[in-house]
Amino acid sequence: MDVCYQRFPKVKIREMKDDYLKFELRETDASMANALRRVMIAEVPTLAIDLVEIEVNSSVLNDEFIAHRLGLIPLTSDNAMEMRFARDCDACDGDGQCEFCSIEFTLSARCTDDQTLDVTSAELRSSDPAMCCPVDQILRSASDSGGYDGSEQRGITIVKLRRGQELRLRAIARKGIGKDHAKWSPAATVTFMYEPQIHINEDLMETLTYEQKVEWIESSPTKVLGMDPNTHQVVVLDPEAYTYDDEVIKKAEAMGKPGLVEIYAKEDSFIFTVESTGAIKAYQLVINAIDILKQKLDAVRLSEDTEESLDQFRELGAHLGGGGN
Amino acid sequence: MNAPDRYERFVVPEGTKKVSYERDTKIINAASFTIEREDHTVGNVLRMQLHRDPNVLFAGYKLPHPLQYKIIARIHTTSQSSPMQAYNQAINDLDKELNYLKEQFEAEVKKHSTTMEY
Ligand SMILES: [Zn+2]
Repeated sequence: MDVCYQRFPKVKIREMKDDYLKFELRETDASMANALRRVMIAEVPTLAIDLVEIEVNSSVLNDEFIAHRLGLIPLTSDNAMEMRFARDCDACDGDGQCEFCSIEFTLSARCTDDQTLDVTSAELRSSDPAMCCPVDQILRSASDSGGYDGSEQRGITIVKLRRGQELRLRAIARKGIGKDHAKWSPAATVTFMYEPQIHINEDLMETLTYEQKVEWIESSPTKVLGMDPNTHQVVVLDPEAYTYDDEVIKKAEAMGKPGLVEIYAKEDSFIFTVESTGAIKAYQLVINAIDILKQKLDAVRLSEDTEESLDQFRELGAHLGGGGN
Repeated sequence: MNAPDRYERFVVPEGTKKVSYERDTKIINAASFTIEREDHTVGNVLRMQLHRDPNVLFAGYKLPHPLQYKIIARIHTTSQSSPMQAYNQAINDLDKELNYLKEQFEAEVKKHSTTMEY
């Protein structure tokens, strides 16, 4: 059984930042592109606050409101792939409070003057900041040396306190996935589009007057087409600006020039845009998604004992086949 | 109040098999695979890979109900193969494709990390 129907996809990265990635994926199909997108959104693990013990809360927000807001704060999760899920951690018996499956945070804030106090994610103290802390704390320490405008990095507001109000709590962050709760999703947005192929019928185009060409170019709601200022030829400026809106096709028909342009989506080429919440780097999100998808497929392999009944099946098949003759 | 627990969507209950299959009683070389706690992510990618196998006459999957956290894949093959063989082959080929994709992607990341200036 040496047959193989495997594909060999090609990748080209166009732009890469810590929290943003744009890349081309070619020579595979939409099912693979979509599986990767779905895994990035819902199945790549991160850390998020999952348990909150409130000691004092005299703020205007109730305890569960604050617990919910804490859960939504993105935490650095570079080690999440190696950590254990609390439910299958044997070190703490599923209690979810040991070093293999959790990180502890504390927060203590009290307003003592007439100025309103903003309690932000910057106030969250991690038991192991190198392992896990709110993403904006990392950004702040990076901007101290990097020369970013510090005022942009004020942290995420949790609650505002007036004079005499206090908030004191202990929180546990755990590993989880977006399928469980969106707070664990490392993806801000993951999208892909089919690469459009736009063919202009040049012979038919020559029958258009200058004004007609301009009118046709302007019928597109996005800047897909343009005109060469010297030759007055219609050119495709940016095929990817096309939103599959069919406007230029309808316009050509309305002008009595059907077939002026042909547009189709290349079915094996995708342009991905990945934005991360900051929990993990955007390129790491893609790599983790590949690993997770591999693990998922591995888990659905037929196991040894199901393989045995394969032989039974063959015997029976031969039996039935023989009986039919 | 009676909503199922969120983890029900991805934790296979004890005593339940992740994958099981049942032969078709009327057609030779046809079988239904029940895959517990999986959805379109695995179902569709598996189906499309099965379509690349010339011995596969039919491959499809369904998510029977949004609150039943399983998919059912149906495979019918020629006598040159069997549904189980085609199923495993599809998973192996997808695994190889993902290995290749990861290599390609990491090489691209490396190229872009070295061209970054600070
Ligand atoms: Zn534990």
